[in-house]
Amino acid sequence: MSKNKKIIFGLSLFAVAIMIMFFSTMPSAGSKEISIEELLTKNYKDEYVLTQGLLKEDSVKWDADKIELTFEIVDEESSSPLPIIYKGVKPDNFSEDVIVIVEGFIKDNGVFEAEKVQTKCPSKYEGEDPENYDAEMHKNMNEKKQNE
Amino acid sequence: MYLIGNIALILGIAISLYSLAANIIGIKRNDRKWLESARGGILSLAFVTSISAFLLFYILGTSQFQFKYVAAYTNNQLPLVYKLAAFWAGNAGSLLLWVFLLSIYAAVIVLNKKKQNNMIPYVSNILLLNMLFFYIVMIFNANPFEMTEMIPADGKGLNPMLQNPGMVIHPVTLYMGYVGLAVPFAYAIAALLMKKMDAGWIKLTRRWTLTAWLFLTIGNIVGGWWAYLELGWGGYWAWDPVENASFLPWLTVSAFLHSVMIQERKNMLRTWNISLIILSYILSLFGTFLVRSGILTSVHAFGDSNLGTYFLIFMGFMMIFAIYVVITRYQLIKKESRPIEAYFSKESSFLLNNFILVAAAFAVFFGTMYPLISETLTGTKVNVGAPYFNKVMAPIMLALLFLMAICPLISWQKAVFDRFIKSTLVPIIVALLFAGFLVAMGVKGIYAIIGLTVTVFMFNVHLAEFWRGIKARRKATKEGFIKAAFQLTRKNQRRYGGYIVHIGIAVIAVGVISSNAYSEEMMKTVNQGESFTFGNYELTFNELTETQEKGNGIVAAEIDVKYKGKSNGTIHPEKIFYGTWPEPSSEVAIKTNWKEDLYVVLSSWESKEKVTFVVKVNPFVSWIWAGGILMMIGTAIALIGGKTSAFFKMNNRQAGVHA
Repeated sequence: MSKNKKIIFGLSLFAVAIMIMFFSTMPSAGSKEISIEELLTKNYKDEYVLTQGLLKEDSVKWDADKIELTFEIVDEESSSPLPIIYKGVKPDNFSEDVIVIVEGFIKDNGVFEAEKVQTKCPSKYEGEDPENYDAEMHKNMNEKKQNE
Repeated sequence: MYLIGNIALILGIAISLYSLAANIIGIKRNDRKWLESARGGILSLAFVTSISAFLLFYILGTSQFQFKYVAAYTNNQLPLVYKLAAFWAGNAGSLLLWVFLLSIYAAVIVLNKKKQNNMIPYVSNILLLNMLFFYIVMIFNANPFEMTEMIPADGKGLNPMLQNPGMVIHPVTLYMGYVGLAVPFAYAIAALLMKKMDAGWIKLTRRWTLTAWLFLTIGNIVGGWWAYLELGWGGYWAWDPVENASFLPWLTVSAFLHSVMIQERKNMLRTWNISLIILSYILSLFGTFLVRSGILTSVHAFGDSNLGTYFLIFMGFMMIFAIYVVITRYQLIKKESRPIEAYFSKESSFLLNNFILVAAAFAVFFGTMYPLISETLTGTKVNVGAPYFNKVMAPIMLALLFLMAICPLISWQKAVFDRFIKSTLVPIIVALLFAGFLVAMGVKGIYAIIGLTVTVFMFNVHLAEFWRGIKARRKATKEGFIKAAFQLTRKNQRRYGGYIVHIGIAVIAVGVISSNAYSEEMMKTVNQGESFTFGNYELTFNELTETQEKGNGIVAAEIDVKYKGKSNGTIHPEKIFYGTWPEPSSEVAIKTNWKEDLYVVLSSWESKEKVTFVVKVNPFVSWIWAGGILMMIGTAIALIGGKTSAFFKMNNRQAGVHA
């Protein structure tokens, strides 16, 4: 075996080792993206998940002394809203028409304990509404809310 | 104005098509006339793109809201500098910027008589192909000179987050880096097409590659700096898909910069080098594709899915083309490549360094694409965030730092082990003493201590290299210390410039490791006049004020800061509510000393008397910016000096002619 081949062989062993590292880290470090409906109906206990939905503005309760934020999010398919508790500060523009992305665990009592709360505004960096933002759906949501 | 803009764009397509054809005819018939004509075409193309670019600057600067682009990204109140910077705030302008830079680069290549050679037609054709693509996208999809149906009284304004000096620099430098990569790529493909198997293309493009790398470095670091100041979450790097996209080519180009040295000296690793530069170029397109397509959720969301498709097609085309060229020439490349002579040599250590950098690039790529991969394979989207990247990248980067520490000490061809041990001894002892000191000081966190120790080791090795060089020089020339240091660097700018870059990386590593491991955060709701302590700091909330400025409402808190019992001034974290923008933005207040940043965000308030703050102490973050500056200086030194041998010869010949 030439030296070149030996070096290549050694490096590929190394590569395999790194690969194994990638794959073993992956499940523990990732968060599954789950819809609210699935989260409400199926069992995702002890799994770190990510979900997103529209903020129900009248559900927001902010306790400044304890630094604790509770709110609910909904989306079009979900039958009932998902209650969320977050021990952290209220994000900017935490008001109507904002999409909330939460990461965390669902607890036995059905409350989602968020470790991370992010808001996504349709117009984050662009001047115009991006095309993938479903304005129609948002409008429907708001109308539904008013009808209730 | 509308006419000039659009005519310039259409002319752009026409001229690039013509030059492409002229080059091909010229090459086929071996006709100087056609080649000269193509050269003229490229120069006029640069002229035409300059007109378009200046026109866009002009209409932005003078707020001509009859243009959609101007109305979408600026308004009357915007300061002039941001009006102009809105050039790259949207898709259309960014594309124009790209084509403008590329045409200037192409013009520089064909103008440079010194490097005039028979590769130019091939090179310029590949660049022309790129430009043609951008022109087509602009005309069909994102025309910067599109008109509005009704002229609005005022524009929508620029996103307040983008109104920061960092955002003026960050996109342009990244683009300059991205665009610059097209040049070495074009040379590599040209060399293959012409079956020129020597390292000529590498020598000719060394400066281009280094410049592109420099701009990528600046772009990435300034991007981090902007995020730190403007986004208010206390970090500088979030492993966001788009950040990763700009980090990927940086990694592969870093690998390329090292491995070409081996080809230049030893004529080894040719296939590898060609693959690396192709990869870097493709990754630069991939980065743009990610930003423009919106296939991954990112804070940089530009949501025009159409543009993404264009880029995907072009990227696929260029990739297939490049791979085809490499495969058909593979036997030729193979024939003259030389094998490595010894395991313990600079060559193999460089190879290892390359390998680690590429592995790092792969890890980042894999993590970035994982949501898509998992969705296709299992149906559920699994997002991997910072924890994955930190976990995977930490050992890779540690290995890289370690390699950077020992690499300079391993000599070419076949290193002598004894000498290697001798020269590592002092740096390693100092590093271990440092580790002992950290432990004695009560610093916790074994991984961070290991990381810092390796960093110090790496730093010491480079310092020792300088020291040895200076000592040897002083012995020979009897120069003073400073002069010797200066002359040493000047005489071998590539080497010592590179070392300065490494030292810069060491400084950055200190910042990254300690801010990741030892950053502390606290959230606190306080009443007016109330004080609270956080680490060495004591903060007193004085008052909350509300003012109006240029149509924006500014809510600011005044906080007195005491550091270790001594008064350390007053800070004013703010929240700004914009008249033209739905979201407020946080203006962070930062107090920096040499070892840490106090980082205060005004989060929310119940009343004027009761306010919630997020307070962070981020150790050594300012070192990251300092290290970035060192890296720039080092790269500049390597860039200005360090004539390649081929260039040297040509220069001498020219000097002869002139004399």
